[in-house]
Amino acid sequence: MKKIMMILFVSLIAIGLAGCSSDENVIEFWTPLTGDDGAYMNELVDEYNEQSEQELEIKHVITSDMYTKLYTVMNSGSGIPDLTLIHADRVPSFAKQDLLEPMTSIMEAQSELNEDNYLSEAWTAGIVDGTQYTIPLDIHGSAMYYNKDLLAKYGVEHFLDDDIVTYDEMLSLEGKLDEGDYVVNDALMGWVILAQIQNLGGDIQIDGEPAVNTPEMKQAIEQTKAIADAGLMTPYGEDGYLMFQSGNVLFSTDGTWSSTGHAQVESLNFGVTNIYSFEPDTFHNRASSHLFSMMNNEERTDEKEAVIGDFLEYIRENSIKWAEAGQIVASKEVNESPEYEKYMQSFFTKNEAEEDSLHIYTYEHYPYVAEAIDTYIADLVHGEMDIDEGLKEMQKVVDDKVAEGSLDIENAETDAEE
Amino acid sequence: MKKKMNLSPIFFVGPHIILFIVFILLPSLYGIYASFTQWNLVGDPVWVGLDNYKTILFDQDSTFHYQFINGMKNTFIFVGISVPLMIIIPLLIAVALEHKGVKMKSFFQSIIYVPGLISISAAALIWSLIFNKQLGVVNNLFGSDTVWSATQPFAWIVIFVITIWAGVGGNMIIYRASINGVPKDLYESAQIDGAGPIRQFFSITLPSIRFPLIYTLVMTTAGAFNVFAQPLMMTAGGPRQGTTVLMMYIRDLAFSSGESIAGIASAMAVLLGVVILIISALQYYLMNRNAS
Amino acid sequence: MKMTKKISISKYLSYLFLIVVSAIWVIPLIFGLATSFRSQTEVVTAGFRLLPINWVVENYVTIFSDTSSAPILRWIGNSLFIAISHTILVVIVISITAYGYSRMKFKGRDVMFFTLLAISFFPSVVNLIPSYKIIDMLGWVNTPWAMIVPGLAGMGNIFLVRQFMKNIPRELDESARVDGASDFQIYSRIILPAIKPILIVCGLFSFVGSWNDFLWPVIVYTDVEKMPVTAGLLLLQDIYGNYRMIGQLMGSAILAIIPTMLLFVFAQKYFVQSLDLNSGIKG
Repeated sequence: MKKIMMILFVSLIAIGLAGCSSDENVIEFWTPLTGDDGAYMNELVDEYNEQSEQELEIKHVITSDMYTKLYTVMNSGSGIPDLTLIHADRVPSFAKQDLLEPMTSIMEAQSELNEDNYLSEAWTAGIVDGTQYTIPLDIHGSAMYYNKDLLAKYGVEHFLDDDIVTYDEMLSLEGKLDEGDYVVNDALMGWVILAQIQNLGGDIQIDGEPAVNTPEMKQAIEQTKAIADAGLMTPYGEDGYLMFQSGNVLFSTDGTWSSTGHAQVESLNFGVTNIYSFEPDTFHNRASSHLFSMMNNEERTDEKEAVIGDFLEYIRENSIKWAEAGQIVASKEVNESPEYEKYMQSFFTKNEAEEDSLHIYTYEHYPYVAEAIDTYIADLVHGEMDIDEGLKEMQKVVDDKVAEGSLDIENAETDAEE
Repeated sequence: MKKKMNLSPIFFVGPHIILFIVFILLPSLYGIYASFTQWNLVGDPVWVGLDNYKTILFDQDSTFHYQFINGMKNTFIFVGISVPLMIIIPLLIAVALEHKGVKMKSFFQSIIYVPGLISISAAALIWSLIFNKQLGVVNNLFGSDTVWSATQPFAWIVIFVITIWAGVGGNMIIYRASINGVPKDLYESAQIDGAGPIRQFFSITLPSIRFPLIYTLVMTTAGAFNVFAQPLMMTAGGPRQGTTVLMMYIRDLAFSSGESIAGIASAMAVLLGVVILIISALQYYLMNRNAS
Repeated sequence: MKMTKKISISKYLSYLFLIVVSAIWVIPLIFGLATSFRSQTEVVTAGFRLLPINWVVENYVTIFSDTSSAPILRWIGNSLFIAISHTILVVIVISITAYGYSRMKFKGRDVMFFTLLAISFFPSVVNLIPSYKIIDMLGWVNTPWAMIVPGLAGMGNIFLVRQFMKNIPRELDESARVDGASDFQIYSRIILPAIKPILIVCGLFSFVGSWNDFLWPVIVYTDVEKMPVTAGLLLLQDIYGNYRMIGQLMGSAILAIIPTMLLFVFAQKYFVQSLDLNSGIKG
């Protein structure tokens, strides 16, 4: 027993010492890409490192809780990654908190990293007050999958003729479905509502103030509730995602990335279209984007920045691999290539109207708004809660959070200085 | 001779005190400090005095007041129901296992302990498939049409089921070991006096395992106040935030996708800590006093 | 005659209770295990069945095939190293500390003990950042130290062990003291053997706790190769918390519990046979 303990102690110390050596010759690249997405990104990084003539290598670090971890390293000032993949909704608040370094020098070094070469919605998601903070990798967002066999069974393939399924079309199936079948599930319901707000010409802010309790929001929720009331939506608390996979639901409103998951189900014969809408001529798909960014770090050398630029340019040209993850690749060179067409999500870049339908909210307090919607939406749509009351509470939650957020910290600091 | 300072306690408790200061006391003090500030986790905290506490405790209009009250209420529901079950069920299992005539003790014990080893996400997935209305067994078996995770009180029941399934193993082992250690002659003389098994349990077993009972009660209660994974995974806090426990609000405020509101979150955590302290001190005091 | 009858009734009641409870406990386990041998198609279409219709091993093949981004065997190795080291240190620290708080006399001993216990009850959720800073200052980011050491500061086990030490008859150490034994000798020769069973229980709990911790390792590790298995498994899950591959998730969860399960099955014989937790708890 004592011997074992001695051996353990010695090896502990050895490992402890080994951990101290940190590698200066790698570029730490943090992503939140867990699951298969991470594996695809690994392949991209490996391919880059293999062909690269640079001395520095990119080291891809996947973190299941990346933002918490980013906060901890930014706060402590050590261990800050060289390159980070962040979501579009983080950009405004990160930029405001001065956590991001502009991409200016990278863009100067790599002339192809410019607006014309990317989907504009993804590119502009990285602009805050005229400064470009990010280079996009992809757009990923709401998508509506349909079960081809069920559409045929109920003779409603014509819903898809104009690529838009409307509320009216869905409601027309009331009373016509077999027991246990549903028209649509309630997966990612919050995103569906955010798309409807765009369809109705509304917004989630008025003059920079969060606007949740709006007529558009109310109409969007009421209309969606009508589907649930008609018994056409998967019931509250049921796993609508699985029910679609098991072949009981005509439409599933989940994400672009789900195509790979649905493809695992052999019995499921499915396709992809836009999120349902009010009118056939106005439609949106709420989206987000994975964006390359550099967290503020004085220790990042010019040499490293040069390699980062080189890597981003490589990704721009060669990220077809990323399409396998089910995401809409942001680089036009990739998403306009013939090879890209075999991927289901190419639906969303097939023409200008589709590209325009992708909507990324760039409002500073979008995360608070989205959280409030996510917290309340299921209760509202499934009739557990009065809509007016719910909207009032949601507005209040967002207002209070905004008031507690950093704006006040800035005020407090200026107060202290006065 | 007697006046000579005895330094040896320092060698025994000193190392742990250093560990305690570095890894528990300092972070806790920082957490308490943060509760008097506005802080987004990244920048430096800005001192606001008692503002956070005033908002949480007294500002009736504030979302944070509502979250605190609602979260505390749900936490108390969870603690109030789960803790007695987490004591009684493992105690009964332990009593049954320690029965003289029972064989295959290790087999039974393993089955009951192993669920506690499974990661919470896998456990949640297993149970949500079981409770799933279409695919699951619960509704097929009982022929009910309810969606459990979205209807009260079933949403709570789902949470308690997974909590107990995964959580009784530790207490069971402590009880079993304790009962095993009760001197056999106590039972023998009780039998001679004609005491039945139930009376033996109350007059011999329970008093003999008093400390293990206090210990498990205090620790289980403190653990239950910190719950968040089970409701998060099983019901996402619904329906109507009816199963959102305080720890879920705290984590959301501090670590969700918007800018962090860590000052308020810290103040809620400190208040939760105070409640845990009072309750466990009460438990310890009452159990000790009743027994002596 | 009457007595044996009573015993057999309570025996059958005990059996009945244990069988019912075990059945309830084991069905989800079997279901989870079986699900790891199902294809996604079967999971979503077959309805509830305890056992798969078609047994497939694809899930496990996938788990083992991705050795670069998800080296699961390596993760299990890391976890073993962390959990074993942590457990050994826990046993040493808690027994020495509990000795101090139960057998030694010094001013303010009990006040100090209960103060520390009280402080340790504060929820640590927002202490992540100061904790990380401390680990960073110590240079322990990305090292097993970050997992092994902080947990040694906990008070729960000391609370338990202290109580058992208090109830070991004083006469034992006093006679040793008369013979000239030091505190350390009393601790190692008299107390340690007497509390071995409860230390084994504490060791088991510490091992399992260290094995299952998933919040902290995510923060202190960036190196996939060095991660413990519970944190590593989170990397397999879908980024949106969806479970794209249910069978795969089950399979990896099952692989991750095999070592702790084996430990438990082997250890339980020992700690239950020799456990005398109440040694003299009479108030």
